[in-house]
Amino acid sequence: MTSMPEKTTHSIITLTVNGDEHAFILGEGAHQVSPSHTLAHTLRETLGLTGTKISCDRGACGCCTVLMDGKAVLSCMLLTVECAGKQITTIEGLGDPATGAIDRLQQSFIDHTAFQCGFCTPGIIMSAKALLNQNPSPTREEVQAALAGNFCRCISHYHVLDAVLDAAQKGDPE
Amino acid sequence: MKTFTHINADSVAEAVKLLAQYQGRAKLNAGGTDLLGVLKDRILPDYPEALINIKTIPELSGVAEDEKTITIGALTILADLSAAPLIEKYCPLLKEAVDTVAAPQIRNVATIGGNLCQDTRCWYYRYPDEIGGMIQCLRKGGKTCPAVVGENQYHAIMGAKKCFAVSPSDTAVALTALDATVTLAGGSGTRTLPVEELYTPLGNVLNPDELVTAIYIPKPAPAAKQNFIKFTLRKPIDFAIVSVASLTTLEQGICTAARIVLGAVAYTPVRAREAEKFLTGKELTEETASEAAELALAGAKPLAKNAYKLEIAKTLVKRALLGQ
Ligand SMILES: Cc1cc2nc3c(=O)[nH]c(=O)nc-3n(C[C@H](O)[C@H](O)[C@H](O)COP(=O)(O)OP(=O)(O)OC[C@H]3O[C@@H](n4cnc5c(N)ncnc54)[C@H](O)[C@@H]3O)c2cc1C
Ligand code: SF4
Ligand code: FES
Ligand code: FES
Repeated sequence: MTSMPEKTTHSIITLTVNGDEHAFILGEGAHQVSPSHTLAHTLRETLGLTGTKISCDRGACGCCTVLMDGKAVLSCMLLTVECAGKQITTIEGLGDPATGAIDRLQQSFIDHTAFQCGFCTPGIIMSAKALLNQNPSPTREEVQAALAGNFCRCISHYHVLDAVLDAAQKGDPE
Repeated sequence: MKTFTHINADSVAEAVKLLAQYQGRAKLNAGGTDLLGVLKDRILPDYPEALINIKTIPELSGVAEDEKTITIGALTILADLSAAPLIEKYCPLLKEAVDTVAAPQIRNVATIGGNLCQDTRCWYYRYPDEIGGMIQCLRKGGKTCPAVVGENQYHAIMGAKKCFAVSPSDTAVALTALDATVTLAGGSGTRTLPVEELYTPLGNVLNPDELVTAIYIPKPAPAAKQNFIKFTLRKPIDFAIVSVASLTTLEQGICTAARIVLGAVAYTPVRAREAEKFLTGKELTEETASEAAELALAGAKPLAKNAYKLEIAKTLVKRALLGQ
């Protein structure tokens, strides 16, 4: 190998997941975060937050959707090392950690049976959450557009639209 | 994913220096929505030793204007571009193109520079290493192109000689119609060229130590009608089978200027110059639009399985011109 740059810019990174700050040592050791780890991998394998699902692992299904600084993103297509300093919210971070009460969006999915196998559901709920945070009373078309990146193999889409619109209607200003 | 050294670049100069030091063994990472797929499937003969994160370069994002030009930083995120009032006002066809890219979650991280520089989606080229080994085709320095005699339904219908892969970038089509240029920064300084000249039959013109820093769009005539149409098999999360971008200026029904660009038909967006010439000075009607569509596809040489793309392309040209 020739003329490798000396710059090793970071050895510890921190990110905030569901309100808790986590520091990770970068490296290839057992409990370290490799520069090649995706955020989805870190959430599931390092932090044990298995609510975020990995299906295609190629950016094409939306199962791994989480919020990064409030925006819906695909955690399988992000390097953990590049999420340093970001605020991440996963499905586990919805609802009220103190009482254990779930988010009204989650309740609405239950009320509308807006899933069958449920594998796509955490990702869909996170995309819907990002939408409602930005636009509390969306139209059906706006919900469709916001969920266009979430693929459901069980064809629960129609129930999902009802669940999201219903949750939006019931939404008291938080 | 196999590991690599990860470096955050703080400036364009640093990114260029790192690229030069690694001599082709490092890759730039912008949004990563294309690159991570390439790395996960190990489709390239040489796995990069290092990734250079350019999201940490502060001055490369944003949309600005001066009297004559719209400037877009290469790291501008697609969702931000779509929401930018300047883009909506001056380049609605670019906004339309951006809004068809992938899905909302990808548009929240993908950059316009990455969109322009993304690798082809030819499915032989993208064939994952872990399922029986990557395919060493012509584009990767191999000797043959399996697509030319194989499953070529999504491949090029014009301008191809050895590799039949198409440019997958939707923004490149829109930017070519808008007569945009890109600036590249590298070890020997910067150069600016039309988006139309960014691509080569086997990739793009970037030297190993170059990156795209900015895109410039001359403000189009306010009277010009802009259209972008993309045909896909399903609406979201899909690449174009064919796309068309057009700008037409009409004065009392007579077309005084026209730009027509075809996407996903060749390794680069293709300007339909004969069709543009034909339309100029003519009334824009069903008949002249049909004639222009025929001229736009006159040079096409489809492969065994993709002649259907010709008909789609002609229909899109006609619809784009007539604003349907
Ligand atoms: C499921 C899915 C669907 C998609 N659908 C579409 C679609 O419909 N239309 C479409 O156009 N694209 C589509 N894409 C492709 C693509 O990911 C995006 O369009 C995106 O814009 C790429 O930007 P990025 O910043 O994430 O690029 P990256 O992945 O970061 O980079 C892509 C490539 O460009 C290089 N690069 C990045 N920035 C620069 C720069 N400034 N200068 C020089 N080189 C650079 C990188 O080294 C890399 O090789 C899709 C991708 C996926 C996963
Ligand atoms: S079309 Fe190009 S990228 Fe696809 S297999 Fe042939 S040479 Fe390779
Ligand atoms: S697992 Fe991330 S998009 Fe499919
Ligand atoms: S409920 Fe099974 S994938 Fe959506």
